[in-house]
Amino acid sequence: MSLAEDRVRIEVDETDLIDINAAIEKWQHFPYSTLTHHGKRCCTIAREWVFSMDYSQLNGGSPLTGPRWLRHKFKWGPSNWPLRWCEAVERKELDCGAHASLAHEVFTARGVKSFPAQFIQQFSEDATRQWCEKWGCEGVSTHWVKEDLIYHEGCAVIARGNEIKVWDPSAGWWVNPKQFGGYGGLLAIRIFTGYDRQAPEQLTWGRHKVTPNQWHKVERARGDFALAAAAASGK
Amino acid sequence: MRIYISGLYSGTNPQPGIGITRSLRQAYPDATLVGVEYSNRSSGIHWTDLDELWLQRPWEELNLDAYADEVREVLESGAFWISGFDLEIMWLASLYPEGHRNMLTPPAAALRKISKPAVEAHKGLPVRIPSFISTENSDWDIHTFCRQHDWKVWLKGPYYEAVRTASWDAFEIVRTTLSRAWSTEKLFLQTHVSGYEESVCFCAYKGELIEAVYMRKRELTEEGKTWAGDVTEVSEEFLKPLRRVIKELNWSGGAELEMVRDPQEQLWLLECNPRFPAWIHGSTIAGRNLPALLIERASGVPAKRTEAVSEEFTRVVLEVPVRSQFPLPPLPEPLPGGIGHSLKHPSGSLALAERLTKLNIIETNGNGNGNGNGHKAGRDKGAPEVPASFIEDLKAYRLEEMETPAWLFLESTAQSLFKRAGDLAKRLSTPEIKVTNGYSIKTNPDERLIRLAHENGFMAEAISLLEVQKALKVGFKPEQVILNGPGKWWPEGLLPKERLHAVFCDSIADLRRTASSMERRELKSKIVGIRLRTPNVYSRFGIPVDSPKSLEKLIDTIELLPTDTAFGIHFHMASSNIGVSQWWHLFESMLRWCRSVEALSGRPVEYLDLGGGWFPDDWHTERDDRFASAVHRVPEVLRNVKQIISEPGKAIAQPSMALAFRLLEFDETEEEVKEAVVDGSIAELPMHFFQPHRILHRDARTGEWRPLKRGKTQLLGRLCMEHDIVARGVELPEGAQVGDVLVFCDAGAYDRSMSYVFGRG
Repeated sequence: MSLAEDRVRIEVDETDLIDINAAIEKWQHFPYSTLTHHGKRCCTIAREWVFSMDYSQLNGGSPLTGPRWLRHKFKWGPSNWPLRWCEAVERKELDCGAHASLAHEVFTARGVKSFPAQFIQQFSEDATRQWCEKWGCEGVSTHWVKEDLIYHEGCAVIARGNEIKVWDPSAGWWVNPKQFGGYGGLLAIRIFTGYDRQAPEQLTWGRHKVTPNQWHKVERARGDFALAAAAASGK
Repeated sequence: MRIYISGLYSGTNPQPGIGITRSLRQAYPDATLVGVEYSNRSSGIHWTDLDELWLQRPWEELNLDAYADEVREVLESGAFWISGFDLEIMWLASLYPEGHRNMLTPPAAALRKISKPAVEAHKGLPVRIPSFISTENSDWDIHTFCRQHDWKVWLKGPYYEAVRTASWDAFEIVRTTLSRAWSTEKLFLQTHVSGYEESVCFCAYKGELIEAVYMRKRELTEEGKTWAGDVTEVSEEFLKPLRRVIKELNWSGGAELEMVRDPQEQLWLLECNPRFPAWIHGSTIAGRNLPALLIERASGVPAKRTEAVSEEFTRVVLEVPVRSQFPLPPLPEPLPGGIGHSLKHPSGSLALAERLTKLNIIETNGNGNGNGNGHKAGRDKGAPEVPASFIEDLKAYRLEEMETPAWLFLESTAQSLFKRAGDLAKRLSTPEIKVTNGYSIKTNPDERLIRLAHENGFMAEAISLLEVQKALKVGFKPEQVILNGPGKWWPEGLLPKERLHAVFCDSIADLRRTASSMERRELKSKIVGIRLRTPNVYSRFGIPVDSPKSLEKLIDTIELLPTDTAFGIHFHMASSNIGVSQWWHLFESMLRWCRSVEALSGRPVEYLDLGGGWFPDDWHTERDDRFASAVHRVPEVLRNVKQIISEPGKAIAQPSMALAFRLLEFDETEEEVKEAVVDGSIAELPMHFFQPHRILHRDARTGEWRPLKRGKTQLLGRLCMEHDIVARGVELPEGAQVGDVLVFCDAGAYDRSMSYVFGRG
C-alpha cells in the first residue's frame, strides 16, 4: 500500500467561485477600528496599564514579538462599538477590531512602526453561520460577514526597510504571506499608512508588493516551488 | 535494485525509515525495498511498501562482528543502504571510515565534525550555535551557566533527549536520569532559543549536493517533533556555503539541519542529523523526492518523476495490518508497582550507545563550554575556582580539634565584601542620586555581619520589629532602618518612636494601615512607599498590578499617604532564581511600572529600593557594569529619584561563612567510592537543593586545600532522611580518610539563617 500510488494531482482552484470584488466593494468604506478615550482618568489608567503590562510581558524579548498576551487576556468575541479604553480592558472578550487596535497601540508604544490592517478572509458558511448566531445573541452587528467571507482586522509592522510582517491579534500569529486560499485563507489586505509621510509608498510582504491605503488582492501561491523542483531536476 | 532502509521505528518520535520507503516506492516501483530493524516491536516493519524485512536481534545482544560481515556482503552485492538511525550510522562509519559507494551515509570524519553541541562544520553557514556547557564541569560552573541564561536551559543527552531544567533540583534529577540512561557523564546544557523551528534537509553523494529543501514546522507534537510543515526552496544565501560544507565533509546520504529562527530572524543551529528526517516524505509531497534523487545519483538508474501535490504536509495516524510472519509480541508485564509499560527504545538504542562508547566509536563534541562560534567561554574544568581569601580565612581555624559540624566565619572575606559594596555605592553615587546599600538582616542575622554592614555605611533592612531591635542593638539608628515585608509590624510594641528611614507596604491593607498610623503620628518615617508585585514573574509579595482595577486601587490608596512624606517603590526578586538577564529585564519593566504609578498618582517617586537575591558571582562584577548603567538609566525614566537602595545581602553573606563536616564513614577498600557519610546534613545546609556548594579538603601531607572535583561519590548526611544527600557526583580526593574535615563553602546566607536542629536528641 502506498499513499503515493494511483495518485492524481489535487488541483482545487476556487478562485472563480469567490466574488472577491463584491467583498471589497462591501467593505470598501469600512474604517479600521480605534479605541476611544473618555478624556478622563479611567481611560488614562487603562491605557497606561496596557503599555506597562505589555512591557512586562515582553520580558526583554524583541519588540517585534507579537503581543500574544492580549489574546490570552481577552478572548475573541463580539464587541459593541464605540469602545473606550476603560471598557475594553474590563471585557473578557473583544472583537478583532479591538484586538487590532490594542496590538497597534502596543507595537507603537514599543517603538515599532505599526499600521492598521484590514483583511478579507474565506472560511465556510458553517463557520460564518456560527459566528452570526453568536454575534446576534449579543445584539452585535454581523456586517463583517458576507456568506463564507469575513472582514477581519490586524496590523502590519515594519520589520526592516519597507518589509512588513502582518500580525493577526485575534489568532495570535503572524499571517503567512504565502497564501494557498481555502479555509482561513487571506484573499485581500488593506494597510493604512494614512497621512504618515515617512511610510513607504509600497510595502513588501513576502513576495507581495502592497500599496498602502487600498485593498490588495492576495495572489495565491500555487506550486511555484513544485514547478521549480521539476525544472531543477530537469524533468 | 535492492535498497536496504533502516530506522523504521514509528512511534510518537519516529525514525525516517517509513518516509524514505514511501518516497522510494513512488520513484522506483520495481525496486526491492528491504526494511532493516532491530526489534519486532517497531511498528514500521508492517508497512506494506517494504518488500522484505531483515529483522536483526536487538542491539543489546547483536553480535556486531558477525553482523558487520553480513552488512559488508550486502553492500558488496550491489545493494544500497540508507540508514535512518544515528547510532547505526556511527557504527556503519566504523566499518567504512571513508565510506562505501553503496552505503549512503556520511564518513566517520564528517560525523565527528557534526557532533553536537559544537557542530564544528557549521562554520560559514548563516547560523549560530546556542551557548552550551558540558556537565563534566563543576557544579559551581554549571550553576553559573544556568543563572547567566535565566534557567532557560535544556539538559541534553549525547545523542538524543533533551529535558528543560528550570531549577537546580530539576537539573540534578535529570542529570542523574540521563547519565544512567546513556551510561555517560558527558551530557551538556544548552540555552533555549525562542522562535520558530525550521529545517534544511539535503541529500548529497561523495561531497556533491544533489538537492535541498527548507521546511518550517507548522504543527508540533508534545515532544516538539514535526507533525505538519511547509516545504519550500532553500535560499541561495544558505545553499552557497552549504555546498562548500558538504564538499569539505565529503558527505554522502541525507541530512537535516535543525534550527530555530528567533524574532530577529537569526537562525540558531540545534543539531545536524546525519540522515533524512522523519518528515522526509513531506518533501516528496512537495515535489522533491530526496531519497529518490540520492539513489538516482548513486545508482545511475533514473527515478520516476515525482509530481508535486502540495507544499504543505501533515500527518495522520494510520492503522495497518500486522505482517503474518511477524505477529505482535506480548506486552511485558509492568514492574511491580510500576506505572505503564515503558517500551522506549525497543531496539535497544541505549545499549548500542553504551557498546559504541566502549568501542570508542562515538564521542560527543563540546567538552568545556562555549557557543561554537569560535568563542570559548572558559576552560574545561571539573573543579571550581575558590577565592584565595577562603583559604586564608580557614587558616585561622584548628579544624582537627574542632567539633563538627561547625560554622566557620570567614572574616577577611566578609570584611572585603562589605567594603567592596560600600566603595561601589560611593563610586556609583552621582550629585543627583545617592546609592546606598541595605543589609537584609534575614539573610544572616549574625551580629558580626550586621556590624560590618553598619561600619560600611549600609542601611539595615528588617522584615520584623525583632529584626529592627537587633539592628538598633548592633548600633544602627532608627533613621538607618528600612522596614519591609508582609509581617513587618510583628511583634507588637517594638516599633521605635523615632523616625525610620523607610517603610514599604506589602499590600493595599498594609498601605491603608500605614497611612492611618502616620496620620495618628504613631509611625514616623522619612519615606513611605510600596512594594510592587512583579507581573509576569510569580511572587506572593507586594501589591499586584495585574489588572487595570488593581492598578486603579493602588493609585487611589497612594493618595491616602501624607504629602509631607517622601514616596518610594521597592521591588525584590531573587536573581539567582530567575537568572541575571531576566532580573535586569524585570528591573526595566519595574521602572516602567514606577513611571505609570508616578504619572497616575501624581506622587513623585523619590526612592527606589532594589532587592536582588544576588548570587555572589553575579553581583555587579567588574566585567558586568549593568548596575552602573542602571544608576544612569533610572533618571531617564524617573526624574525625581534621589536615592537608590541596593540589597546585596546574599551576595555578601553567602561567601562569608562555611561549614565544616567530618567524614564519618566510607568503604576505603572500594576502588571507586560511591558513598561516604558525613556528620553534617541538610539541617545545616538547607540550601543544598537550590545551589551547589564548593567543597574543600585539606591534603594531610601538604596541608593544601583543594576543591573536590566532579566524580562518582555521593556525600550522605547523618540524618535518617532519604533526601539527606549533601553532595552528588563529587570525587573524594586521593588519601581522604575517615575523620577528615570537608569544608562546605558558600553557606553564609540562607543556609545559616534557615538551618534547623534535627537529629540531635
